[in-house]
Amino acid sequence: MNPLASRPAGDAATPPPTDDPGLARERTALAWTRSALNMAASGTLIARAAFVGHLDALGIVSAIAMGTLAAATWRHGQVIYRERREPGMPPHLQAVAFGRLMAATVLIAAIAIVVTIAI
Amino acid sequence: MGDTQPETGASKSEPAPANGPRGPARGEAPSREDHSLRRWIAYSARRERRLEQTGSDPDPRFTFANERTFLAWNRTALALIAAGLAAAQFLKFNLHGLRLIIAVPLIVLGAALALASYLHWEDSERAMRLRQPLHYSLMPRVLTGGIAVIAVFGGILAIVDRLVH
Repeated sequence: MNPLASRPAGDAATPPPTDDPGLARERTALAWTRSALNMAASGTLIARAAFVGHLDALGIVSAIAMGTLAAATWRHGQVIYRERREPGMPPHLQAVAFGRLMAATVLIAAIAIVVTIAI
Repeated sequence: MGDTQPETGASKSEPAPANGPRGPARGEAPSREDHSLRRWIAYSARRERRLEQTGSDPDPRFTFANERTFLAWNRTALALIAAGLAAAQFLKFNLHGLRLIIAVPLIVLGAALALASYLHWEDSERAMRLRQPLHYSLMPRVLTGGIAVIAVFGGILAIVDRLVH
């Protein structure tokens, strides 16, 4: 049947829980760095497209916003996982950070549609 | 681990958001958008608190893995949005508007995945806190199907565009 569904999360096959997440923390920090780079790249694309579509103001605003977002994303990964070395993240903090990231992505999509139609 | 919240019982018994009947009555002074934005913030704050009060902390490695999965899906969503923007800029159809048929679905798919990835993260996190089986996500199917449909449409559009010209 369905191997994923029939096995409870955090059961068998994996060693028992430890306080030290080991390299998982480092991998997660790297994932945040990748996300930050992705944000910066998307920001460049959106700003370029906006300028092509003669939406200069939108281009400048979205370039600044995406730059800030990329910096915040990068900093988040650094602070939480490299400096503080949190053993795990309190779920409500995660939910806030992810909720913001999700909202930002949806907003980016909305701007992208506006720019696409304008080109 | 044994993070006991003092308000555990209190806010769990809180009735479901009384959005419906009371919504419009208070919504006169602030604009409609402002009002629904505030309601959304209050609603997500409640959901977050509920998540923390659910079950017990899972092994941090699993939480980290769940977090990385969310981030990977979020990057996929951003990549789709970027692909849509690139399609809008660099596709050269004789009928100018045809680009939109490729570009807009890609961007919308990206936005949908961004939302779905957050909901899937929350769903998995809740399952792990309750030591319940994880749910399968619809996202891989949506992504594969979406890309396939857009690709087929792209091919058809390219042919139609050439014939019309």
